[in-house]
Amino acid sequence: MNENNDDYLARSFQYLQKIIKDSSPAASASYTLIGGVLIMGFLGYFLDNWLGTKPWLMLIGFLMGLFTGFYELAKTVWRK
Amino acid sequence: MSAAAEQSHATGTSVLDQVGDNIIHHVSNSSLEHPLIHLPHIFGIDISVTKHVFMLWVVAILVSCAVIIPVRKYLQKDKAIPSGWMNALEAVVKFIRDSIVQPNVGAKSVDLWAPMILTFFFFILFANGIGLLPIFEMLGSINRFIFHVPASDTHNVVNSLLHGGSTVTANFNVTAGLAVITFISIIIAGTKAHGFISHWKNLVPHGLAWPIYIILIPIEIIGMFVRPFALTMRLAANMTGGHIAILAILSFMAIFADMFHSVLAGVGMAFISVPMAVAINGLEIIVVLVQAYVFTLLSSVFIGMAINVHH
Repeated sequence: MNENNDDYLARSFQYLQKIIKDSSPAASASYTLIGGVLIMGFLGYFLDNWLGTKPWLMLIGFLMGLFTGFYELAKTVWRK
Repeated sequence: MSAAAEQSHATGTSVLDQVGDNIIHHVSNSSLEHPLIHLPHIFGIDISVTKHVFMLWVVAILVSCAVIIPVRKYLQKDKAIPSGWMNALEAVVKFIRDSIVQPNVGAKSVDLWAPMILTFFFFILFANGIGLLPIFEMLGSINRFIFHVPASDTHNVVNSLLHGGSTVTANFNVTAGLAVITFISIIIAGTKAHGFISHWKNLVPHGLAWPIYIILIPIEIIGMFVRPFALTMRLAANMTGGHIAILAILSFMAIFADMFHSVLAGVGMAFISVPMAVAINGLEIIVVLVQAYVFTLLSSVFIGMAINVHH
């Protein structure tokens, strides 16, 4: 009985480990994509306020952030 | 539970006006007006100990007691057969070293980076996990209802511990600190493996047409900062989000009781919102593990990218 219990516990932990392993690409992808947009968007916004060029630097920042986000996402998801 | 309990004490203004503030109060750091220990300003920086700093100490002590001391004791033994807690620890350490660090960093430098990644994992796991336990809310209720200490008594230790949330990893400053360690580690790993100048050259693939470099170099430089930023946001936002969801669902009880002007509506709502909160708490247990795993995995992936350059 005890051995069965141990087996059951071990299998549960293995399954939990599998869930965690499988969910990691999804969990890691989300913020990689928006991280670039957020950083570059805010940088553009502050530069706009400083230089008085509203809204152009923010738009350029968003676009560059989008490129970077997708590039980083591809690198993270398609790594070997 | 405490969010709803405190709201039921509300007098005067509507409950709906207070719910948002109450939730934010339970997930953010204690305000600078309510530090646990008052300390002077040094170079214009207030170094008073807030609740999150206190919780950092608690986590550090817990990790020491649960991980470092058993391992030291085990190493001093003559017979090296792990048992009980040490067995579980060994399984986790083996898993992280062999399944996370080694495939990413490579067999050559796995022993150099595994200790740092393991420290990350245990620290984040304990910090995330302790945030799920309503320790201070329990102490607060015992204080309030058994010892009858009023909430207005600001000199009471337990009362002063009730300000702010107890999940340190829900604080962006803490996760940013961890991400900065990863950022510096990436540079150190690349420099150690290839030399200082080659590390920066390795950021972009070699042997491409020159117009591509005009696009690629800025993207890689931005990407260098985006990675730690994403690490920071991911951990902190995930730890904050789950707690907000639980508190919001529990707050329905107070909101419904207020809307229908009857206690019965709140009690009825409890039959829906308490099981939902329990379910989200179960989900949170997985999130706690997944986020600790993802942070360590990505840190080792980034360090590995700097060491094994192949585009």
